[in-house]
Amino acid sequence: MSGSIVSVNSLSVAYRSGGRDVPVVHEVSLEVAQGRTLALVGESGSGKSTVAATLLGHLRYGSRITGGSVVVDGQDVFALPARELRRLRGSTVALVGQNAGHALTPSMRIGRQIAEAGGSVPVVDLLEQVRLPRPAELARRYPHELSGGQQQRVAIAMAVAARPKVLVLDEPTTGLDVVTQRGVLDLIAALRDELGLAAVLVSHDLGVVAHMADEVTVLRSGRVVEAAPTRTLFTAPQDPYTRRLLASVPRLDDAGLAVVGETGEREVRPKVPVPDDSPVAVSAVDVTVDYGSARAVHGVSFDVRRGEVLALVGESGSGKSTLAWTLAGLRTPSGGTMTHQPGHTDPGDLARPAGRRPLSLRRRVQLVFQNADTSLNPRRSVGDAIRRPLRFFGTADSRPQAAERARGLITDVRLDPDLADRLPAQLSGGQRQRIGIARALAGEPDVLIADEITTALDVSVQADVLRLLDDLRRERQLACLFISHDLAVVRGIADRVVVLRNGVVVEEGPTDAVFASPGHPYTRQLMAAALEPDPDAHPFVEGDTGDLDWEDAAEPDDQWTEHGDGHRVRRWRTADALVTEGVS
Amino acid sequence: MTALTLAPVAGRAWRTLRTSRTAVIGLAIVAVHVLIALLAPVLTSYDPIANDSSEALLGPSWSHWEGTDQYGRDVLARVLYGGRYALGVSVTATLLTVALGTVVGCAAALRGGWFDDVLGRVLDAILSVPSVLALLVIVTALGTGPSVIVLAIAVVYVPQVVRVVRGAALAVVPADYVTAARARGEGTWAILRREILPNITDVVCVEFAMRASWVVLLISSLSFLGFGADPPTPDWGLMVAENRTAITVVPMASLAPIIALATLVVGLNLAADGLSKAWGVDRIREGN
Amino acid sequence: MLSFVARRIAAAFGTLLLSSVLVFLAVQALPGDVATQVLGKDATPDAVAALRTQLGLDQPAWERYFDWVRGALHGDFGTSLVSGKAVGGEVSLYLGNSALIALITVLFAVTGSIVLGIVAGLYRDRWPDHLISTVSLVGMSVPEFVVATVLVLCFSVALPWFPAVVLYGPEASVGQLLPAVWLPALALAIVMAAYIVRMTRTSVIDVMAGEYVTTARLKGLSTWRVVTRHALPSALLPTLHVIALNVAWLAGGVAVVENVFNYPGIGKLMLSSVQNRDLPVIQAIALVSAVVYVCCNLAADLAAMALNPKLRTRGRTR
Repeated sequence: MSGSIVSVNSLSVAYRSGGRDVPVVHEVSLEVAQGRTLALVGESGSGKSTVAATLLGHLRYGSRITGGSVVVDGQDVFALPARELRRLRGSTVALVGQNAGHALTPSMRIGRQIAEAGGSVPVVDLLEQVRLPRPAELARRYPHELSGGQQQRVAIAMAVAARPKVLVLDEPTTGLDVVTQRGVLDLIAALRDELGLAAVLVSHDLGVVAHMADEVTVLRSGRVVEAAPTRTLFTAPQDPYTRRLLASVPRLDDAGLAVVGETGEREVRPKVPVPDDSPVAVSAVDVTVDYGSARAVHGVSFDVRRGEVLALVGESGSGKSTLAWTLAGLRTPSGGTMTHQPGHTDPGDLARPAGRRPLSLRRRVQLVFQNADTSLNPRRSVGDAIRRPLRFFGTADSRPQAAERARGLITDVRLDPDLADRLPAQLSGGQRQRIGIARALAGEPDVLIADEITTALDVSVQADVLRLLDDLRRERQLACLFISHDLAVVRGIADRVVVLRNGVVVEEGPTDAVFASPGHPYTRQLMAAALEPDPDAHPFVEGDTGDLDWEDAAEPDDQWTEHGDGHRVRRWRTADALVTEGVS
Repeated sequence: MTALTLAPVAGRAWRTLRTSRTAVIGLAIVAVHVLIALLAPVLTSYDPIANDSSEALLGPSWSHWEGTDQYGRDVLARVLYGGRYALGVSVTATLLTVALGTVVGCAAALRGGWFDDVLGRVLDAILSVPSVLALLVIVTALGTGPSVIVLAIAVVYVPQVVRVVRGAALAVVPADYVTAARARGEGTWAILRREILPNITDVVCVEFAMRASWVVLLISSLSFLGFGADPPTPDWGLMVAENRTAITVVPMASLAPIIALATLVVGLNLAADGLSKAWGVDRIREGN
Repeated sequence: MLSFVARRIAAAFGTLLLSSVLVFLAVQALPGDVATQVLGKDATPDAVAALRTQLGLDQPAWERYFDWVRGALHGDFGTSLVSGKAVGGEVSLYLGNSALIALITVLFAVTGSIVLGIVAGLYRDRWPDHLISTVSLVGMSVPEFVVATVLVLCFSVALPWFPAVVLYGPEASVGQLLPAVWLPALALAIVMAAYIVRMTRTSVIDVMAGEYVTTARLKGLSTWRVVTRHALPSALLPTLHVIALNVAWLAGGVAVVENVFNYPGIGKLMLSSVQNRDLPVIQAIALVSAVVYVCCNLAADLAAMALNPKLRTRGRTR
């Protein structure tokens, strides 16, 4: 194929474990033409990162090529002698990895690190090219003095310093905030066009792929499932796996959770409205939380009724996780009140740490963690993880009863009860997350706090876990506090939304109302930055609101602009204008 | 620990032994030493402390495989019995040290705050006094019985074990399953026992093997200096000291205990090495 | 950065203070009446009482502690119960002799073992690593007195290059002691080096497997540059504290080796003073050793600051 600057032919890679060869990549072939962008899409274990690394002739320790070849700019990468390979890596191919914080040498100034990458472009010019402010001063800083987004831009500058012909990007924006992510992706797109680079983009995020790529190759368990130009793949996917994958991605305009069929049909099941007489399960009024001398949450108030899902949305530093943990009793608020069943004859005080709450109150509020890998004790069986709270909270009186109840709970989360004797390492990520939910249910709570529970899961598993959560809260009339940064997920599952920024509520209201007409510029900025898995998607929010300069205009006795029906927006004004009301 | 299923533990132990040749060799050497120490009366008919001046300073022969020392005692017998003292005291001392150090280290990691800070200061202060000096002082004050040596070694080595275990526990404490236990309102001891301890057994085992090797070395050095085992107890360090002057006449009397000592410690170190590699414990967390 | 240094120095002082209290309490808590020990069991009660007053043992403990600390700050550690001479002078004499050994040991052991550790780490699982790791394992496994004895056999008896025993007293000059320094230094160096080699090796392996080293390689840099500029500054960080601990250990570790060679150093003084229950000397040695330990750790902290920019600058600034 002339014109292809990257050509992978029937590549197979395996690594050695316990005396055997474990295949990671199986006969993968792909082509990238000059100036075009190819996306490698897959879930965890698909081998996409391994394939991307081979473009630089790099294999993880213990892996080797068992077949096929990788040709970049006419050279067989794995047949090159060391010196030629080094030259290839410096000036022909460059890699931008996922975690820039770990990829930059902590003991060297970033200006030096960029200069090391070679090329004739001065460091200051490169830093300007990646839109970093005060480049001369920044070049003298150390990596730990920069934010995540800035570190990633430095990594990009390092990669393009020697003007390579191919840019390999391995999940370049995972872990960054939504708005930062958008900025970095736009930068990559701009540079790619300016320098005429061919790019290979590895991602699990179909929204990113739709936005950036010309061609897409879908990988599953090391094999190519489908390869097509972007528009073709997204509008008319052929393979059932690809269709299921695409169907599982939540969209911003989904008014409920998606149910995906075997061959990829998609059905959005409508939300069941919460009955009006549902009692309030948790009430937080004017909560402030401090970390030492820094204030993380400034006077936040919210209510959650039984059977309702309230979503706390925000980027990092918004205080959403802090609030969740405070409610669970792992942090103490420095001000405000948190009450359990405030309308009841005997409300419980949730402003005390978990150890000081009475047992009966402690079990009513339960937390489900984000990372299923670390939320279960690796040395104990999953059944034990569930039995412990059963015995501790006294919801089961004897050992045999606890064992039986644990099996019952495992069935409730749609898993085979025989899994009770397995260790966490023997279960998949989705199964572990369900066990986490079962463990939370062991205390028979009426409040469930879900802290980013789907963020670390593959897309196809995400949808199942969300549906499970939805079913459970309906069956048991649970009050759910759902923490997330992903607006599309929130749209599907939440009844009401609270948008947080820097510890302050900027907008709150029923989900449909907030998404239909967001009133606060920050909310609009978040929605504008979200990427839909549709190459022809129009921005969700009309108008150019991403760069609107605004500032907070709330007074202590005049904080909100009411939009009716529980939807309200914190007062704001454009930065260089006189006081005006925020009107949607 | 009732819910800890035995099957995964045994399975893991078996897999470890299969993959790490170093660990197997090391453990085998230690096992041989233990066996010899236990079977010493069976393996030799000589009494290790019986003097017989007529047989003094003989070289290796068929009746005395390693010769005799200046008091006419059979060297091989003394070497075989010497293992009893070395292993007995070392194992006891190491068990005590590691047990204490583990509990304190875990508690410090879990509690954090002022408890951890104060403890760190106190441990640092104890560590600043050279261990040899501390040992000598304690032994001189309280006598040279085995129980005193065990106590002295515990005092000297507990701070170091606390450091290592605390480092390992600190890596476990932020994990979500520990947080979940805290959210349940479980007490410190319960969390320590159920959540933290099972996840640091790797580090503790490796530390035990390493610490045992240090303890064996220390005890033999003490005996060498005359502050450890009292004559006529057969002890390797003591034997080297006693036979030092006669080293040109009967080198075997000095070499035999040296070989015994070296092989035991090499075995312990190999075991520690092999286990730490197999379990991935030899990462920097184990810093002193 | 200054606050970091200041805090470290303050912490060092705190530890030293605590050590002095511990040492004092431990030594004073030794069972057995000192005066009876010194005079013997047949001493008359009057003589014992007189000695007790002379030694100031009739004062309350905390008063004695403050007297001692105040004296120590001026270099006055009291007088030896055995020789009657000023303890401060005696200790510094013996300490100086040991310092000679320590200097040579540290010079060769530290530099040599860092280099060997780096080589072992870079050639992981290949023959240089196997060789270095095996030798260091053996070095760690043999007690100092064995190494010393073997060295004597080889280099004093078989090949009479070095003296087997030192015949000089503590007042010997540097020139007189110099030929006798090498074997003890070698014996100590072998044991010390083993630990440093292993720690360096582990640290190098860890860092070389890290992401930023991979990134540096993928930039197309030569292996030499990757190792020296990117890997080593971070790899050496954990080694610093191990080195500090080992250097501080020398203060006590010389005891055995000096015993074998009869070298007039602090180890010999330690042994004799413990045997003779010479309390002021024991206290002084313990305190001096604590000072050495604290200084070594402080030096390690400062060196860490030089290698680790996170300690020199504050966190994120936008």
